[in-house]
Amino acid sequence: MNAIIRPDWDIRDAILEMGGTDAYKCYQCGKCMAVCPWTHVESVVFPVYRTPQSVKFGAIMSSEDTADIEREVDEIYRCVACESCTTWCPHGVSMPDIMRGIRRILVEFGSYPSELSESVSRVHSSGNPFGEPRERRGAWAEEAEIPSFEPEMDYLYSPCCVPAYDPRAAKVANATAEVLRKAGVSFGVLGDREACCGEAIRRAGAEEVFQEVAAANVNAFSDAGVRKAVVTSPHCFRTFDREYPELGADFEAVHQSQLFARLIEQGQLTPAKELGKKVVYHDPCALGRGSGIYDEPRQVLRSIPGLELVEIPNYSREYSLCCGGGGGGVWLERPKGERLSDIRLGQAVATGAEVLAVACPYCLQMFEDSAKTMDLDIEVKDVAELLAESL
Amino acid sequence: MAKVGVFVCHCGENIARTVQVQKVVDFAKKVPGAVFSADYPYLCSAPGQKLVIDAIEEHGLDRVVVAACSPQLHEPTFRAAVAQAGLNPYLCEMANIREHCSWVHRDIDDASAKACQTVTAAVERVKRARPLDPVEVPVTKRALVIGGGVAGIRAALDIADAGHPVVLVERQPSLGGNMSRLSETFPTLDCSQCILTPLMVQVLRHPNIELMTYSEVEEVSGFVGNFKVKIRKKPRFVVAEDCTACGDCAEVCPAPGGNEFDLSLSSRKAIYIPFPQAVPSIFTLDADRCLNANLDSPTGFRVLACVKCDEVCKPQCIDFDQLPEIVEREVGAIITATGFDLMLGEQAEECGYGKYVDVMDGLEFERILSASGPTQGEVRRPSDGKTPKDVVFIQCVGSRNPEHGVPYCSRVCCMYTAKHALLLRHKVPDSRAYIFYMDIRAGGKGYEEFVQRAMEEERVMYIRGRVSQVIEEDGKLKVLGVDTLSGRPVEIDADMVVLAAAMEPADKGEIAGTLRIAADTYGFFKEAHPKLRPVETLTAGIFLAGAAQAPKDIPDTVSQASAAASKGLGLLSQDLLQRDPTTAHVDETVCAGCFECLAVCPYGAIERKELLDAQGEVYREVAAPNPAVCEGCGLCIVTCRGGYIDLEGYSDDQVFAQLGAMGPPPEVMER
Repeated sequence: MNAIIRPDWDIRDAILEMGGTDAYKCYQCGKCMAVCPWTHVESVVFPVYRTPQSVKFGAIMSSEDTADIEREVDEIYRCVACESCTTWCPHGVSMPDIMRGIRRILVEFGSYPSELSESVSRVHSSGNPFGEPRERRGAWAEEAEIPSFEPEMDYLYSPCCVPAYDPRAAKVANATAEVLRKAGVSFGVLGDREACCGEAIRRAGAEEVFQEVAAANVNAFSDAGVRKAVVTSPHCFRTFDREYPELGADFEAVHQSQLFARLIEQGQLTPAKELGKKVVYHDPCALGRGSGIYDEPRQVLRSIPGLELVEIPNYSREYSLCCGGGGGGVWLERPKGERLSDIRLGQAVATGAEVLAVACPYCLQMFEDSAKTMDLDIEVKDVAELLAESL
Repeated sequence: MAKVGVFVCHCGENIARTVQVQKVVDFAKKVPGAVFSADYPYLCSAPGQKLVIDAIEEHGLDRVVVAACSPQLHEPTFRAAVAQAGLNPYLCEMANIREHCSWVHRDIDDASAKACQTVTAAVERVKRARPLDPVEVPVTKRALVIGGGVAGIRAALDIADAGHPVVLVERQPSLGGNMSRLSETFPTLDCSQCILTPLMVQVLRHPNIELMTYSEVEEVSGFVGNFKVKIRKKPRFVVAEDCTACGDCAEVCPAPGGNEFDLSLSSRKAIYIPFPQAVPSIFTLDADRCLNANLDSPTGFRVLACVKCDEVCKPQCIDFDQLPEIVEREVGAIITATGFDLMLGEQAEECGYGKYVDVMDGLEFERILSASGPTQGEVRRPSDGKTPKDVVFIQCVGSRNPEHGVPYCSRVCCMYTAKHALLLRHKVPDSRAYIFYMDIRAGGKGYEEFVQRAMEEERVMYIRGRVSQVIEEDGKLKVLGVDTLSGRPVEIDADMVVLAAAMEPADKGEIAGTLRIAADTYGFFKEAHPKLRPVETLTAGIFLAGAAQAPKDIPDTVSQASAAASKGLGLLSQDLLQRDPTTAHVDETVCAGCFECLAVCPYGAIERKELLDAQGEVYREVAAPNPAVCEGCGLCIVTCRGGYIDLEGYSDDQVFAQLGAMGPPPEVMER
């Protein structure tokens, strides 16, 4: 891409207005690229460090060559919002915020990947990214005989769209419900009264749709009298915890791994059954780097008798490698050889573990897909499932 | 017969790795005159020195050779040690077997043989040495400071505050130098004049400071502690004592032109005061610009074409008959603080300087930003007075460019460019600032943070890359460059371009010549040692401060000025100075009195001495070097046709014996 840069102030100002002001903190050291998960994919060059400078120049989507534009869009949607760069950036640049700023412009012009635009419109129309009927959202709970949320209950359980509709992930929701029940926690679900939290579509740039679904959720939670919500997905968690308050939400969100750890510590839960398995834990980006929750899921796993917990060397906790599902990546089909989940699963298998424990529905989906396509002999399970098994 | 002791140092592994120390020790014992030899891991250590002292006493040594490092480093150490043992310090000789031997050779046998030769040579030399005593000279307790910028002001105030008289000489009509031209200073954004003018006033009022503005140092003779200085006071054609700076004269003066203080962005009359806060507040009549100039008369003013200023001057202080005045002062120490100029060479031309009026240098932009400047601090461009919106700043114009400029970094440009961009953004909020840079060198307290502030808060666009050229297109200055971090060319349509031009020394050799101090290839005064003697020159009693020594910013300049003042005060606080007795010595019995030596001596150290006969009549004139002035350079020695001059400590006898010992490798070394 050797096109001459001619600064375009309208494009720059538009991106800044959309939240890209962090670009001005950047001093082009390249640390972001050095820690970017895409550096693990040899066939992909993702010069993420150039993005803030391009924002400052307004030199995005300014080329007259369609191939340039396509390449740019492709690059901008490489970012999986894993916050690895944000964690290590010397100047505190939030690259996901810059990416979101740019993506908002791309969405406004309709210049973004079709898989994403479809998911966005499904969230808009059906309240979930799969286009499943809105009224079926509570079906899994009805089958599991989970009551509808009442204001006198301690917790709302908000399971995320993936467990609500995907049969495999529904097992995680069921396991969570079982654990909570055994601990004597009073909880209920909102079923079709809630919709997708909107995190992924917001990261994908669909700000308006996010605002709409989020506002509806905030109202629904408020109408239902929710004071505390326990969630399965760290993406929902971070959105409820940090972004919904800006829209007037007034409830406390807790990730289920936090609640489990607390219940075990307080003696309300006592894992008793021997599991007898070697388990490796993968830190989901949104839970670890995104929310600073590293220890609770490990505490839960360590409390399970006979479970040997191992770590992925060099790439655990803050150094965890993204599964590729964040930032809308879960909806984008990547060719084989460009899948971050394949690389991460390979790291997990190399530890000799029999089970890869996750704490995020996206991670679960991404790794299950990889395990199938790579034909690897490793089980992928949510921490909640392992805990339920040992009760 | 001399009894020489030879001491060989290992310097840890520095010497012992390449030189077989034991062989040198054994060999030394066989050198005629050497009666003792020993070695030690670190002779410069306290036990090492004790070894030398004890051996002198125990073996009755009367000469010492220390085979170790360069005399630059530890000669004073061992001279002090032998003095402690009761020997004359000049009977101690260093044989450099480290810098001249172990560090530059690989072959152990060859290096060891050379070390033996070096030791032999030193023994031969020290055998012929004679005791010398330091030369004592009195000190004139007054300092001369050359240059009235911030460096000279600070140095003068420090010395004067310590109680010594100071003569401060400034070439321009006012104190202040380049700093008084600046708008705000980085990184604190203090107004430059606001922090400088109080110091200027202090100088004027200080009872210990004699301020001579519009004056130049014309001649310096003498030596450390005893300099004689001739200062030329240029005629102001205004009686300084009477001028009230009312300005009536300038109002009526019909001869306008560019004001150099504003780099000709504003105008002044032939009779002028460079800026309102000038110190001293006295008008000056520029003889070159006055209508009376060059009218056929020796002073330029005998035939008067215009006397308007004289007519309106109420205190009657115009004096067309003033002549240059030469004043003489005796001083003990001299501080040189002659400052810098901007260099606008080939690279500035590439960027359109001199071709487009809206391409300016950093100092010009300072004046535009300054509240006392030609636009009263409003950012307006010279061509049409409009406020520029897109301003491109280009760093490293001339600097770091050995092919088309100078190889060195001018050190202040990164910071003042960041400041320029930031001030532009403050003053013109809808402006856009672009900076083409190579590297950002912000090594100073609060500097990096300041650059970040410009980037982050003021959204200054930093572009890493050089500019190929600036061209005019559709009424804009099109800046063509590259963003090397993305590898793409960049084009920016600018309204104004500001160049961070390289700093060069303001003194173009005149002061260096007058003071006989060394300057580097670019004209910056050379310090005696870049790390350990950074404010001294190699000429004793002359010190350096500010950008005349190397490009530097205000904090560094002021620090160096205070350092130079403290060095000067160290000198002035002594009653008698001890000088190295390594000076020229004339054999009066044979001197023919041709005085070729006097002609070549750069220090004026050779005097004529009359020899008197028994009746008290002068029968011959001979050359007599004044040991207080002589620097021991040796020019007179090589000039003397008869070879009748020797350098103490370097007599022909000593040097030839030393050279003779450096013949073929000694046979004792088995190859």
